[in-house]
Amino acid sequence: MSSRLLQNFKGGRAIVVTRHGGCEGALETTLAKLGVSTEYPEIVDGRAQIDVAGLQPDRDILFVDADLEGVVAIEVDPASRLPPAPVIGLVGVEAPSRLKALVNLGATSFLRKPVHGGAVYTSLFMGINQFLLRAEMYERLQDLEERRRGRRAVIRAVILLMRQNGLDEDGAYSLLRRESMRARQSMEIYCEEFMSKWAKPDTSGRTTGITLRGGNKQAI
Amino acid sequence: MMRTRYRIGVMFSTTGSYSVVARSMLNGAMLAFREVNDSADAISLEPVVVNPSGDLASYRSLSLELLGSDIRHVVGCYTSSSRKEVIPCFEKFDGLLWYPSHYEGFESSDNVIYTGAAPNQHVLPLVDYLASRVGSSAFCVGSNYIWAWENNRIFREALTARGGTVTAERYLSVGDTEVDQVVAAIIDQRPDFVFNNLIGTSAYAFFRAFRATCRARGIDQAAQIPVASCTLSEPELPEIGADAVDGHLSSSVYFSSLNSPENAAFSRAYAEAFPDGPVSSADAEASYVAVKLLAAALAQAGTDDARKVRAAVADQRLLAPQGEVRIDRQTFHAWLTPRIGRSAANGQFEVLLESREPIAPDPYLVQSSPRFASAMRSPLLKVVQS
Repeated sequence: MSSRLLQNFKGGRAIVVTRHGGCEGALETTLAKLGVSTEYPEIVDGRAQIDVAGLQPDRDILFVDADLEGVVAIEVDPASRLPPAPVIGLVGVEAPSRLKALVNLGATSFLRKPVHGGAVYTSLFMGINQFLLRAEMYERLQDLEERRRGRRAVIRAVILLMRQNGLDEDGAYSLLRRESMRARQSMEIYCEEFMSKWAKPDTSGRTTGITLRGGNKQAI
Repeated sequence: MMRTRYRIGVMFSTTGSYSVVARSMLNGAMLAFREVNDSADAISLEPVVVNPSGDLASYRSLSLELLGSDIRHVVGCYTSSSRKEVIPCFEKFDGLLWYPSHYEGFESSDNVIYTGAAPNQHVLPLVDYLASRVGSSAFCVGSNYIWAWENNRIFREALTARGGTVTAERYLSVGDTEVDQVVAAIIDQRPDFVFNNLIGTSAYAFFRAFRATCRARGIDQAAQIPVASCTLSEPELPEIGADAVDGHLSSSVYFSSLNSPENAAFSRAYAEAFPDGPVSSADAEASYVAVKLLAAALAQAGTDDARKVRAAVADQRLLAPQGEVRIDRQTFHAWLTPRIGRSAANGQFEVLLESREPIAPDPYLVQSSPRFASAMRSPLLKVVQS
């Protein structure tokens, strides 16, 4: 798998969740050099006022001060463990509980406080690209999971063709594979539809509907 | 009038494998010191010169020595590895390094003022020139350290984006002069041109061997496989030697052949001050500019406090030998004028192309690179000879 790396952050928006106290150090000025604007959401009753629904993962980056317990209320996808936008932790107190909170928010990178200008590019590069990589891996995982579920239909279709067409296992599999490619579908989806059609035959009666190539036989 | 005197560190490796350029940088800085001290300015400067001899550990120890003796400003460094080595010292002591050389970018320390060219001012104009006028396939060579690695990466991405290819990358240790294998590989690959990031003696040996091998094989090297660099400057041409000096392309913000009253005055003063050479170069001019800007910023700030001087330098404009130079307030890099030159037998560069005006520095290529790294295939060959 080869991911494309994001290396130019121009047009990005950093949402920095911290209490202004100088701990953010050179963060804003360095982000500006990288073409990233900075916003500091208000913190009301211990909660940062962030429009979570409006977060755009290809534009926004959340910097979360780990010393502010529970300051960010974002939903991490339960399956992918991905936050709605890349999260970079601002680490002050290096305690397991604080770091665990960052992990639970889906943070993919961190910066020590006070922030040193020379560390910002690396942290941004790692944070955003790890987020993209994780999202891409999750998509692949989902795809594989779908295909795993569909294998049952493939097995059933192979057995059906073996029984009805007198093919051996390899022949049945090859036929299904060829036809799925012709239909521009994955094996699994093609077989699911194939079995579904077989289970609900049209008026012409139960037929596998596959024309066997290399002969004139119509499978029945 | 009582003049305030400031001690200024000057740190160049005037011995070692890249000493020729470093000595021209020292000359450029010393000329500016002389002019500042001869002027009626409210300040005078006392240069404290040290020589790390190209040794990274010495750069660090000498920086600490200078900063530990109440010096707040040091003009110096040529290689990026040396600059990166000393930056922590300047951060610790809150001093300012005035770095007067072109470099590969992707850095912006609050404790450095960069008066040399950023990558959008040297390598990107060179890619434009090569891709539009020379060809599309490149063989990259370089000295094995951060400058060549990163400059080659920027070059490769920019050339690939224009439909070109890099057929190979090869690296030699700094100071290594065994270039025959690299030359043989280039002859074998027959690229449209060579992109050279070798520095110092490695570069001179390469230029000589490549020209000689091409000549022996009946290849007109300068016409058929030209070598393009972002580093090659006038004091290095005599080091290459008369047999191989001409026809090399260089991307630079300054050539000593520039035709302007400011450059004429600079060149005359430089030649008078340093009759034994080495002759001036882009990095010598950047060193001259660095000291001039430092002096102006010190005079405006009224102190050598690094933060105050840094704030003051952003307001300075200088009519330099290359044209107007000013420091960008956001990145503390310089607005400079890119040019493409071709070396001639007389040891000068003929200016082929130049920007109409100074262009803004873009050290992180925020304005001049694609959002995603180009998904190109790896070069056919990538060998590190150490």
